[in-house]
This record gives sequence, C-alpha cells and structure tokens, in this order.
Amino acid sequence: MSAQASSSQPSGFGSSGALSHVYIQYPPLRCKISGARNIFYDDGTKQLIVPTSDQVFCWKTTPFNPNVTPSSDQIGEGPVLSIRFSLDLKLLAVQRSPHEVQIQNRESGDTFSFKCRSESERILGFFWTDSPTCDIVFVKTSGLELFSCSSGIRSLQLVETKKLNVSWYVYTHESRLVLLATGMQCKNLTGYQISSVGIVRLPRFDMAMAKSEANSKPVLAAEDIYIVTVYGRIYCLQLDKIAMQLYCYRFYRDAVIQQGSLPVYSTKIAVSVVDNVLLVHQVDAKVVIIYDIFADSQVPVSAPLPLLVRGFSRANAAASQLMGQNVEGLEGKDSNHGETVIYADEWVFLVPDLICDIANGILWKIHLDLEAISSSSSEVQTVLEFLQRRKLEANKAKQLCLAMARTIILERRPVPMVARAIDVLVNCFSLSIKTGKHHMGSKVERSSTTSGSNVNSAIDESISQADTSEKPPKQESGSGTQDKSIVKSSSVTSESEDNVSFAKNRGKSINVDLSSSEQNGGNLVGTDVSGDEAQPSVVRPQAPGSGSTPLRTDEQQESLVTSAAISPDDLCSFVFAPIEEEMAGDSSYLVAIIVEFLRSANLERLKVPLNIYVLMIQLLARNENYAELGLFIMNKIIEPSKEVAMQLLASGRHNFQTRKLGLDMLRELALHHDYVLLLVQDGYYLEALRFARKTKVNTVQPSLFLEATYASNDSQHLAAVLRFFSDFIPRFKSTTDHQTYSRYLAEMNTMVTA
Amino acid sequence: MKLCIFDLRRGQHEGQELDKILYFFPADLPFPTQLSVIGLSEGLITFTRIFSPEAPCEVIEAEMHSHVFYEAERDIWMVMVVEKSESEAIWRTAALRSVLKEVHSLFVMFHGSIRALLDREPSGGLTRTHLYYFIMDYLSDFLSGKKLHLPNFRDSLKERGMVQMLTIGREAALEVQSLVRVLESCAGCKQSYSLIMFQDLLVSTTLSPDDLINLFTYTVMRLTPNALSAGASSWSYLRKGSTTSNASASLSTSSNSVLDRYYNSHDTSPVGVRSYQVVRPLQHEKWSKGKDGFLVTDIWGTEVGSLSPSSPTIWLKQTEERMYLCAFQHKSLTIILLIPVTSVHNGEQGLSVVKQQILENASPKIFKVEEKLSRGWGGENAYHVSGYRYLLVDGDKYISRASPPGKVATLTKDSLVAMSKLREEVDLEKSRAKCDGSDCEKDQEICIRAKNGAWVISRLTRGKELYMVLEKANETLLYASEAVEKFSDRYCSGVFSL
Repeated sequence: MSAQASSSQPSGFGSSGALSHVYIQYPPLRCKISGARNIFYDDGTKQLIVPTSDQVFCWKTTPFNPNVTPSSDQIGEGPVLSIRFSLDLKLLAVQRSPHEVQIQNRESGDTFSFKCRSESERILGFFWTDSPTCDIVFVKTSGLELFSCSSGIRSLQLVETKKLNVSWYVYTHESRLVLLATGMQCKNLTGYQISSVGIVRLPRFDMAMAKSEANSKPVLAAEDIYIVTVYGRIYCLQLDKIAMQLYCYRFYRDAVIQQGSLPVYSTKIAVSVVDNVLLVHQVDAKVVIIYDIFADSQVPVSAPLPLLVRGFSRANAAASQLMGQNVEGLEGKDSNHGETVIYADEWVFLVPDLICDIANGILWKIHLDLEAISSSSSEVQTVLEFLQRRKLEANKAKQLCLAMARTIILERRPVPMVARAIDVLVNCFSLSIKTGKHHMGSKVERSSTTSGSNVNSAIDESISQADTSEKPPKQESGSGTQDKSIVKSSSVTSESEDNVSFAKNRGKSINVDLSSSEQNGGNLVGTDVSGDEAQPSVVRPQAPGSGSTPLRTDEQQESLVTSAAISPDDLCSFVFAPIEEEMAGDSSYLVAIIVEFLRSANLERLKVPLNIYVLMIQLLARNENYAELGLFIMNKIIEPSKEVAMQLLASGRHNFQTRKLGLDMLRELALHHDYVLLLVQDGYYLEALRFARKTKVNTVQPSLFLEATYASNDSQHLAAVLRFFSDFIPRFKSTTDHQTYSRYLAEMNTMVTA
Repeated sequence: MKLCIFDLRRGQHEGQELDKILYFFPADLPFPTQLSVIGLSEGLITFTRIFSPEAPCEVIEAEMHSHVFYEAERDIWMVMVVEKSESEAIWRTAALRSVLKEVHSLFVMFHGSIRALLDREPSGGLTRTHLYYFIMDYLSDFLSGKKLHLPNFRDSLKERGMVQMLTIGREAALEVQSLVRVLESCAGCKQSYSLIMFQDLLVSTTLSPDDLINLFTYTVMRLTPNALSAGASSWSYLRKGSTTSNASASLSTSSNSVLDRYYNSHDTSPVGVRSYQVVRPLQHEKWSKGKDGFLVTDIWGTEVGSLSPSSPTIWLKQTEERMYLCAFQHKSLTIILLIPVTSVHNGEQGLSVVKQQILENASPKIFKVEEKLSRGWGGENAYHVSGYRYLLVDGDKYISRASPPGKVATLTKDSLVAMSKLREEVDLEKSRAKCDGSDCEKDQEICIRAKNGAWVISRLTRGKELYMVLEKANETLLYASEAVEKFSDRYCSGVFSL
C-alpha cells in the first residue's frame, strides 16, 4: 500500500510541491466517535482503542487501512485510565483507578477486578506479556508485580514481585522492555525485559543530565525517555533539554552503554521509527531529521526537511468528504479537512510509526520516501547501504538500487566508485542468504567453500535473550517471510497476537507505552497536565506517571516483506543486460565494471549467472581484445561452461585463436561429441577420428567424417577413414555410405593413375 | 660470430658498395671482408628469389660456417654467421634467427623501423649510429667473459620471442584485473595499455601479442627487480647473470672511430657521428627505482630547461603510436603503463599527474596484488616437474613454459644435442607446412631414443608444442608415451593427449 502511495509521487515532492523525505499519507484513519472520552493505543495488539461511556471501539492499525471498521466491546461504566487487550485478544483489561484494574473476558463478559492491597501504593500502569511464566505485569509505585492469568479462572495468580520504588515507567511491547525510574531525580533507571524466553534484569544505570545552574537538581521526566527498537537492537534515547542533546544508550544483555548523542534543535521533540530508520521530529522547528544508526553513525541520512501530507488535494478532499460520510458516520460534523496542521499540539507520536491527532481523532502513518532520500545524496555507496537495509518497501528499495546501479554505470562514474556500489549490493545479498532471508533465491548457489565468517557481530550482543538461537538459520523453517535481522525476535513463536502475518514470524512487536509522553501522561511531579480540550472526559490520574497506556502502536506490517537484496542474477538481468546496448561504444568500461562485479561475487563465494560471461566475451570480442579474452579464459575469470564455449566459438568466427579456446573448453568439459563434431567441421577429421576413438564417441555420423575427408581431396586419407569405419563399426560395409565413398575413392584413384 | 645488416636498395652502383652496410659486427673488420660477407649473402638472396620470391634464402650451411638470414624489413636483411668449429658450436638455425628477430623488433620498438630512419636521413648516418649502439648494447647481454655466447644446443629447451606467465588462481586474477582497470582509469585515456609482471613472469597485459613480446623482453632485460639489482643471479634465459656494465664497453671500444670510417672512406656525408643524439635504451645500469616507486632513467636525456630526466617513449607496432612508458615497482611487482604521447598534455607535467593518480588510487590494490601473488609464489623452481625436462610452447598465445634452467643444466650433452636436432627437424616440418600454405595445423609426434638412452620427444598439436627429455627413463616406447600423456593431462589440461 505504502509503496503504491509513494510511487505516485515520483519525484519525491509532496503535493504542495515541497520537498520531503518523510510524509504522512492522506487519507488518515479516522477514529472520531461521539462520546469518546479519550484515545488509547494498545501497542501489544496494535489497536487504537476509543472508549465511550459504556463501550470501546477498536481499530486495527496493522496493516494500516484508513477504511478499517472498528470492532466494539461493551464495558461497564466508569473512568478509563488505560486499557489493553491481552495478546490473544480474549481478555480486556481496563484500569479504572490508580488502585483498580478490571479484567473482562470478552466472550463471556465475565469481569473481575484487581486491586491494590494497600492504599499507599498506586498502579502506574500494566501490560500483557508473552512470557511463559506470567501474562500480565502491573507497574506499581512499589515495584513490578507479575501475574499469570487463565481466562477461565476469575482471578490472577501472583508469580513474582520486584520490589522497587518507582516514580514512573516506560514500556514498549516492541522491545518487551520496561524501564523503571527511581530516585529523587528519577534518573536512576532499572530495566526488565519480559519476553517469551524469560525475564532479564538489566543492570541499573544513571542517565546523564546537564545542569542549568550549579546546584539545581533536574528531574528526568518520562516524556524525555524513548525506547527505540531498530535492527533488533534496543536503544534508549534521552532528551536533555538543557544540553540540547538526545543521548543514545544501547542496551546489551549485561550492560547499558552510551553511544553518542544526537543534537536537537527544538525543545520539544518526538521520535518515530519507520523501517528501522530513526526519525527525530524537531517539533518546534517542524522538521524531521533521519538517522540510520545501523553502523553507529550519528550522521543524519539527509538534510532536515519538513514532514508533509501527501495525497491530499482539493478534489481528493471533496471526494473523501463524500466518502467520509460513511466512514465517519460516528464522527459528527467536524471533518474539516482543510489544512492539516503539521506538528499540532494535539499530535501524539505512537511507537513506532504512527501519529495520532487526538483532537480530531485522526491516525496518520508515517512513511519514508525512499526515492527522495536516495536522490538527495550523491554518496551512492551510503545510499545503497541505506536502501538495502529497508524492509518495509523492500521491492521499492530494490528497484531504486537497481536503477541507481544502472545510472552510475551509464553516467560512466569512475570504476572504483561503481565497484564500491556493487560491493555493497553483493555483500548485502550475501548477508541475506547467510541469514536465510532471501527466498526467491532457490537457484542461488554459493560456490564451493563458505568462508566461515560470521554474520554480524554487532547485533548479537543485543539485549534479547534469543540471540543465540537467532542467527543461525534454523528458525527460518517456520517463518515464511523472515525479515529483520533482529535479534530478539525468534524467541517469540508463541506470540499471542492473532495478527497473523506478524505473529508468525516475529516475536518482537514492541509495545510502547506512551503514557507519560506528551499531553496525557501524568507528569511525574504530579502536576496535572492541562487536559486537552480534545479529550475533556479523560480522567487524569493524579498520580505521577499515570502509567495508563492510552495509545498503542503496532509494529510495521511485515507480511509483504521480502528482502531488498539483489541477487547476481538480478544484477545481470536488470543492470548489465539492459545497459549493454547503450554502452556499445565503450565496452571496455563495462568490462571493467563486470570484472569488479565478479571480484565482489567471488569474495562472497556467490555464483554468477552464465550469461554475464557470455556478455563479457561479446564485449571483448566486439573490441577485438582477443588477447585479453584469452587471458580471462586462461585465468578462469570467465569460468568454463558449455554456453561460454559456444560463445567463444561464435565470437571466434573472426579470430581463430578464440575459436580454439572454445574448442579446448569443450574438450576440457568432456563434451566430446561437440568437440569431435567441431573438429570435423574445421577439417581436422583425422584428429577427430582419433579423439572419437579414444573417448569412445560414437554419436557422430560416419558420413560427416567421410564428407570432410572427401572434401580434402586426399585419397589416402579417404581410404584410411573408410578403413577405420569398416574395422570399428560392425556392418558398416553394408551401408550406403560405404558404397558411395568407396566409389569416390575408386574414382579418385583412377584420376591419379590417369 | 659475424652479424651484419644491409639494405639491398642502397649502394647499387660500383664504388658505393659501402653504403649498403648499415651494421657490421665485429666493426673493426676490414671493409673488403665485410663486403665479401655481404656480397655472398646478397648474391644468394638474389639468386633464390628467382625460385621463391616471397621467402628467399633462409640459411647457408657451409663446412665451417652457418649463415642465418632474416629479412627484417622489406629489402633490409640481417645475416648472422656462426662458426661450426668448436665442440659447443651446435646451432639451431631457428634459435639464431630468433635472436635477429628479437634485436630487430626491440630496435623498432624504440627507434621505429630502419626504413623510416633511412627515409628520414638518407645518408644513413643516423641509422648506423642507432643500430651500432643498440646492437652493441644488446649483444653485451650474450657476453660471458670475453666471448659471445649465442643460443646453442644447450638452449634447446628454451624459446625466444615468447612470454612466460605466472599461473594464478581465479581470485588473484580478479584482483589483478581490478587493478588493471584502475590503472587504465588513472591513465585517463582509452588507448592506454598496461603490463603487470611478478618477478620475471607476466601476470596480465592488455597489449597485443607483438607488442607484448617486445615489452616483456625489455622488461625482463632491464626493468624487473632482478634486472635492476645488477649481478644478481638470474634464472631467466633473457638475461645472463654475469653481465656487467663494462661488458658492452668491451664490445664497443673506439666506437666513434668505427662509425666514422664509413664517412671518411667515401665523403658522402659531412655529418659526423657525434652530432647525433643517441638514445641507448639497452644500456646497462641506467634504470633505477625512485623513492616514489617509479623507475627512472636518464637514457632519454633530460628535458629542456629542467634537470629531471625525460620520460621514456616507445613505438607500438599494432597502433603505430608513440607511447610514454611509465614503470612502477613494488617489491616483486612491476607495472608498466603505456600512454599515448598525443593524449598527454604538457608532456612531463601531464605524466606526473598520471603518476600521482596511480599513487593515490592504485597503491592499495597494488599492495594487495603483490601480497597475494607473493603468497602463492612457488619460487624459481615453481614450474619444475620432477623427472621431466620440458618446454611447452603455445604459438597462439605466444606463451612458453620450460623446466627451470638449473634443472635443464643437469641433462647430459647427448640429450641436449639430440633435442636440438629434433627441434631442427620440427622447425623444418613446420616451415614446410607453412610453405604449402595450408592453414591446417597438423598433429605431429616424434619420439627418439638418444644414444645415452634418454627419450627425446616432441608433440605438436594445433598450435601448441611440447618438447621433452626423459633421462633415466624406462626403455620402452610405451613408457615414454605414457609419461607424456601423464604430463599432458596434469599440466596441459590434456592438450597433448592424442
């Protein structure tokens, strides 16, 4: 869907004609319900949930479809502080107060309540997990409480408690990571990852904070902390408004390491992740800066550009207004499509790539314009690397890569530069088959020895427990579209979401808890954040860090994902073959490029298709570089095969040496029949005969030999050949061939004697 | 040994006979003797042309001497006279002719054709001067002690005018090719050529075979690390280890007086020898490796108005274009880049830009290739096959490979003489086939049991030749034949398995 959408904007310009690398696509998903009191996002199940007084409406956000119809559930009256479905969608948990959470069986409608035992502690929030030992986790001011819950039993069983004085917490389902803030300044963080492979406690760590004054003690707010999951690694980003830096911490299983920082240009920022690309929205400046932190580089992918709405036009608006009547039947009157205010105050950024306009009940999905990004940089190598890492629009990325490869060759860029570009593509492909991600590649062969180089060292130490089980391709069996090279996932086979495409391959949907961020999260100091007009009915928890999870994000849909990796076959058929004609005048350049390609493929032990060799021979022969061609054959740069031999024979029409190379190759490949046939054709009938006898080729017709001999006008040879067949082929003497050529021989002899 | 070059179109009038002599060795021989050698040769050429206009006289075998003829250019003949008296004086005509051919092609590579030189300056003074120094420098390579050592029967498992190649694996070959492309891009123009050598062996080239052989020969003679370190022992037949710089001096004493004699004797030209600026590319110990890795020489003089030496240039046969020769050396790797003179602007300045480009862009690849090749390098005996003494010639690709000279030297004189005779036979057979004009390359096999019991074998098949001596071998022909078969299968991918 998204691929289509963005391809309608070929030049990378938004509808307004402005340039952008990141956009939101019109139309958005509308979730305005009359009587709605708030909008929640459940990132565990990736649903947008809008409660009214007695029921809740849910919109699935994956796959993102603006016209999806909501489902609804009846719930009891009462305030809703937060709401989450269990991962199997059978249970619905609603936080009614800082002390009570109601759990409702959606089928039977049975409900039961979970209440705090003591008045002193409050429930900051809760989330469902896919851990084998527990199903739901409550985050309380006194620590974590892990419960198991079977839908038939009307109560929860306490499994484990983690005692801790919690000020606020941050959780994303994507990372399965909950960060608990403790201490006066709330900058002392403790993390637990509660996933299907168990519970991992992270070492406690402190966030650095710049001081505005010497003795001030800044307090870290929950909204300044972002858990970010890219490439299967988990990072925590911390906004330091004083230093105007976004500190980047990476979580390892046994350590938390600060890995640089990103500058910010706005006191208010938001963070999204689209297809493993980190987007830092500089809200005040109304621009997005894109980072691809794959290689720990803190350099932006491209220049900051605004976020734009695409696909919105007057006509469009009118149309959708009409159509909108149906969809937004519940919504009421205020469908003012007019101007979508970018970075409006009411925008809530949902993990990882959604934006909810809570004022208007609109959900946007953030898209990357790969085309615009790729055309914005002249660093071909970097762009290709970037594109190769894209999964979401893998096919588009792949097409862009192919187009770029064609372009740089057609533009006759320097060979080393093109070589680096090809290296990137070949290496990425090699990596993708090593990790088993490449599926269409049934015919992809690796040549002989696989060098035992391991995949990627950076990834493996990532926090997830699963990492050991992960990188060998064993898990692949199960998943059809195994995509991300991410670590933690594999573990989660039992993901309870019934979002089919997703559940099956990936354990790592992250449930981000937005609670504390932006408008509706309770501020930890307890000051009631001014309620938005848009959601007046929300009952704001007084407690610090309401922990409510009003909004939830789903991970990107991955069902369509293939890899952007480009196989050697693709490179040949979509890069080398199409440009060959256009490069006719400069075949030596193309040969140079192909040599680089072969070198690259050889280093990765990839087999290349035969037609690249055939093409190479044609190019060299066209330029009459026969000496070089000979060298290429001798050094086996052009690997021997029947096709190659045939091309050598064809190209050797004007060059006898080249023809010989083809003949020799046939012999070395033990294609004796063809070899003998060609020898005869070239007039080497005696040699052919000798060779045929030695290699026991008996498929060549005697008449061919006899014809060739007769043509040479040598009666001795003719006699010898006749004799040969008479001796070695039973009943040859009774064939017409024998009679015919015996007569010829007699004639020749009489002519000689005469 | 006598060696002369003469032009049939010159000195056709009585009294002007000296004019036809372009070169004579030894130069201090009296003119009447010189003229008698040339007169005999000319007479025979004229006579045999009646029967065979295209290929007249090839050799005269007299009782005491052999005269080997080579028509280097139309009507310009080279004749070598060797004595048969000594025990070592068992010659193979084709081997001697290949010496003539080699010196001529090298001369043309540096100076252009003799005819062109004569046309440029009809008096012949320029041509004589160039030939004199060139051939003297060339012959000095054959000096051992005070004697010229021409290829005789001891060299019967060697082939002049061929290229020896390093065998490399596919991966190394791809790295090399990658380097070749970078070099080409450094040269900045399409018509540039490259030659990459490891030790004295060719690794890769983009040159056509004719030019390749000349440049390869020159590189091995003067440019490779072995050639640069004078006096180092050499295992290539192209270079004698004992050559020293005074060797050529011993050949060319009183050169000026020698050359002046032609003019003093008949006052045709007022131009003295000393007025010619002579470039002597074959002079010894003139090349050295500069700090930046490029090889430098002052052979081509110094540039006007500067102290830096002029860059060497050579003529390419195929394109008939004058090229700058730019040589770079890293350890055992020698890289030669040929760039058309016309495509380099500002001469030396333009070249230094190219050199800079090479240092900047190609160095990493050069280091990588050198490392890779060194790792796979089996040493000078890499291509020795125990039990065999062989010579393998691929006439299509102009590639030969032979047992290392040290191993060939272990053969007895009888074996070597037999091989020399055998090759003479094969040469004859080949030239006969050529005369017949059939382009069919016949398969041919000869096995001889020499007096000492060694097998001396030749096999020819479709442009490829294999010569082999098997000493201490079993006495049956079957054994010999199987030994060849085994060799062919293992080392020649079955080419000679008939």
